[in-house]
Amino acid sequence: MSLIIEVNKLCKCYKNIEAIKSVSLSIKPGEIYGLIGPDGSGKSSLMKVIAGVLSYESGQLNVFGQRVDSEASAEIIKAKIGFMPQGLGLNLYPELSIDENINFFADLRDVPLAEREERKALLMTMMQLTDFRHRAMKNLSGGMKQKLGLICTLIHKPELVILDEPTTGVDPVSRRDFWQILSYMVRHEKMTALVSTSYMDEAERFHTLSLFYQGKILAQGEPDQILDSIQGWVALVHSQALFVCVQALSTQFTQVNVFGKAIRVVAYDISREDFEHQIKSILARCPKSHYQIESIDLEDAFIGLLRPKNKDQTVKPALDATKPNSIFDTNTLMIEAQNLTRQFGTFTAVDQVSFSVQSGQIFGLLGANGAGKSTVIKMLTGLLKPSKGKGQVSGADLNSSGQKIKENIGYMSQSFSLYADLTVVENLKLYGQIYAVPKKKLAERIQWALQMGTLEQETHTLVGSLPMGLRQRLALGCALLHEPKVLFLDEPTSGIDPIGRQQFWTILVTLAKQSGVAILITTHYMSEAEHCDQLALMQAGKVIAQGSPTNLRQQVSDALGDVISMKVNQPYAALELLKKAHYDKAFLFGKRVHLFSSQVAQTQKKVLALLHQQAIEVLDVQHLPPTLEDVFVHFLESNKIQPTANLKPKESSSL
Amino acid sequence: MKWSRIKTISTKEWLEIWRDKLYLAMAFLIPVIMMVVLGFGMSMDVEKIPFVAIDYDKTEQSRDYLHNFSDSRYFDYQGMAANEKQAESMMDQNKIRFILIIPPGFQEKLQAGRKVQSQSLIDGLFTYQSKVVKGYVLAINANYNQQLLQNWFAKKQGMKPSNISAMLSPVSLETRYLYNEQMSSLWSTGSGMIMLVMLMAPALLTALGVVREKESGSIFNIYASTVTRTEFILGKLLPYIAISFLNLLVLTWMALVLFGVPFKGDPVLYLVASVLFVSCATGIGLFVSILVKTQASAALITLLGTMIPGMMFSGLLMPVSSMDTPAKIEAHLLPGMYELNIVWGSFLKGQGWSDLWGNMAILALYSMVLWGLAIWKFKKRVAS
Repeated sequence: MSLIIEVNKLCKCYKNIEAIKSVSLSIKPGEIYGLIGPDGSGKSSLMKVIAGVLSYESGQLNVFGQRVDSEASAEIIKAKIGFMPQGLGLNLYPELSIDENINFFADLRDVPLAEREERKALLMTMMQLTDFRHRAMKNLSGGMKQKLGLICTLIHKPELVILDEPTTGVDPVSRRDFWQILSYMVRHEKMTALVSTSYMDEAERFHTLSLFYQGKILAQGEPDQILDSIQGWVALVHSQALFVCVQALSTQFTQVNVFGKAIRVVAYDISREDFEHQIKSILARCPKSHYQIESIDLEDAFIGLLRPKNKDQTVKPALDATKPNSIFDTNTLMIEAQNLTRQFGTFTAVDQVSFSVQSGQIFGLLGANGAGKSTVIKMLTGLLKPSKGKGQVSGADLNSSGQKIKENIGYMSQSFSLYADLTVVENLKLYGQIYAVPKKKLAERIQWALQMGTLEQETHTLVGSLPMGLRQRLALGCALLHEPKVLFLDEPTSGIDPIGRQQFWTILVTLAKQSGVAILITTHYMSEAEHCDQLALMQAGKVIAQGSPTNLRQQVSDALGDVISMKVNQPYAALELLKKAHYDKAFLFGKRVHLFSSQVAQTQKKVLALLHQQAIEVLDVQHLPPTLEDVFVHFLESNKIQPTANLKPKESSSL
Repeated sequence: MKWSRIKTISTKEWLEIWRDKLYLAMAFLIPVIMMVVLGFGMSMDVEKIPFVAIDYDKTEQSRDYLHNFSDSRYFDYQGMAANEKQAESMMDQNKIRFILIIPPGFQEKLQAGRKVQSQSLIDGLFTYQSKVVKGYVLAINANYNQQLLQNWFAKKQGMKPSNISAMLSPVSLETRYLYNEQMSSLWSTGSGMIMLVMLMAPALLTALGVVREKESGSIFNIYASTVTRTEFILGKLLPYIAISFLNLLVLTWMALVLFGVPFKGDPVLYLVASVLFVSCATGIGLFVSILVKTQASAALITLLGTMIPGMMFSGLLMPVSSMDTPAKIEAHLLPGMYELNIVWGSFLKGQGWSDLWGNMAILALYSMVLWGLAIWKFKKRVAS
């Protein structure tokens, strides 16, 4: 079996920045190959190089056995490749309808008319876009754009599809559909797919994957192989005395994180017995606590792989870095929204949203791009007047005292809004003055912010040259200079590497639990939602479910049951078999088949027998609780809310 | 090269322009607005210059002298000012451009046969206009002197004034203006503006059109496909050439109807030359778009790169023959001059193929070089 892609010691530089540092990988026919890593780790560059649209400095690249080293040689392979660049729908034409977009791509690829119509009909039916075929692309929802992008990439029956972050910012239902369609196409059209993502939890979707970090591959192989190569364990600890417990565990372990009401401890290079023993002996000192040991997930593995290199960098602020500056009352209502509604013309961006956040609580607003998260934040921060409904933020009314709200809150936007040409300290000083922090106090607060963000080494570094993780912590420091009691964070962690994300969350938990800050955070990372005390799932401007992560998961468990995850030797055949046997809630994850069942033991027996009949070998079986993504999908489906089109009048982007 | 793929790209481009109302307005309205604003605004005629007079004499003779100015079509008499201070404050407020001062004893001295000195104060901020005003003032003053002399002779010799006129200035010079008989600057600038606008607008539109795809990322559809460079560039440019040609026809109609410029040349030649010029102008935009990455920089570079040479080094404001050598070389290197030769040749001079073929050949060469460069420089496998 010849390889589809062979990359050997490939290097790519942009001026003096090395984007890809001697990367090697090979992709077999029929594989779904994943590139996983944070923003700026070199995934996109590598995909463009392979698609033949970006040149490289050194190393070798063969695609379909063809050496690609010039524009002319790249032209030879392009007919067989479909490439979807990063940025959802950005490569589509907003003024053109679905139909016209597809036709353009087909005609560009010389697809004969009859074949074009046939294939278009097939793909549109599959992606459920037929009813919207005459709608302009600019009026589609994120999920629909993603599907249209996929159709346009697939219209000429490529043998290799290269998809750059196709699932970023898309709602979970569309994401799930996407993976189903992709695996269907790979299976039925003998295609090979190279797909990148920054979501670690999508790793299981791939047959083989490479973990990218700073232009290098940290590890590659099948997801299970990568996990097996790192010896590490997770302990989930529940305790009545959360902080005593955290303090105790921190003396022994470096990776101790608070997830809502649970503490998650990770340790590497240790046997399960030793780890359990250590945990047990520490918890003996903590009253009313219990634990359970789990195997690590890919995000832990990623951090584990980076660990040796980042030994001194993983200095994380211990919980006492910020001394409790006041005793707070956990029952103070800091943020309250009552039937908040915002309309833009005829489009309702936010539809009767209600929730409340108490001091010391982390509240997560979860949803896809365009679900209305940012609009909610804008109303609560006094930047946008609600069309209907009311609310208050630390005692100030939304409808009447917008200015007062602004004085009492900290706000950190997705883009961080730092000044790249100023140094770290200059940025802090500037924000201090903007927030009118008294001069005497400011020096002390800047010192605090530097310490909190472990930025003491970087005080005179230009912000433009800081890595994303540090920038993010600086932005947080800027937002906290005036000691607000309420903090709003609008997608603060998009595209940041797992270590940076973990450090960031440690800080947030400290702020909430020790200083009593009420935090409202939006994110489209399902895995991050686990950190929150309370969650609201948003879709199409509405809150479709609310509760603690555990509570939400329990609701889904009650309704659908748990997941039986089976690793099989013929995943496609297994899935087809199960679907034929009317197991509708069966999904493919790389070489694993996931199946929801309310009676796990019974179903497992039946299914294993069924697979055995067809000589499909089951390599292992696991039982998993529903993930937050499962939760989201469940509530979307039970609410029958279709990801509706985005009809918000956008500012024209031309000029 | 496949025509079907060129057609696909052109059709898509046209649909995008047609549906994006802002872009559509930019494509068709901007040239018209530029034509109106620049055509009327750049008129070089110095007429109806507002002025006041200060008459310290207040006699029949002084009024007679003043009448020579106030009756002239070049001046617009704003009335009498009491003193210099009042007049100068009017000048300060830009209400007038010129003050005429008649000293006391004007009539008395003249009748006594003595020399008298009147004074004119001219706003010197607009040097070109000021020089023209000075010329007018001197001419009117000289004319008045001649009248006085004529009258004196007539009284003295009892001759007919016409005979005396013949004796006093035996050589009379008759000037007739060729091509622009009425010396209407609207004729020259109005038609010349077609060149300037059709240099700027198509270049801008094309540059934005191509860079827009780079900015959004849709250019990767082209990079990643089997479409050739030539197919892409031809497909991309055809709609812009068509739009620009339509615009050129509209501007020509405006020059004829709105500015009343006559058309004396060969319409077929004019149309052929227009196609050449429009492809040249789009070529400039295309070339810029290959070099830059953002719409903002594309707009800035094309505007600066077409407006300044189009105005200063095309012969529109100053004839190329009277430029100094570096400017002259620059004028010959840029397409504006050749198009202006064709436009003025066709509208005002009535020139035909034998006079203008050279200019057309250069425009054709120019666009071929620009397009060739753009196709050569356009890479489907980029470095960043």
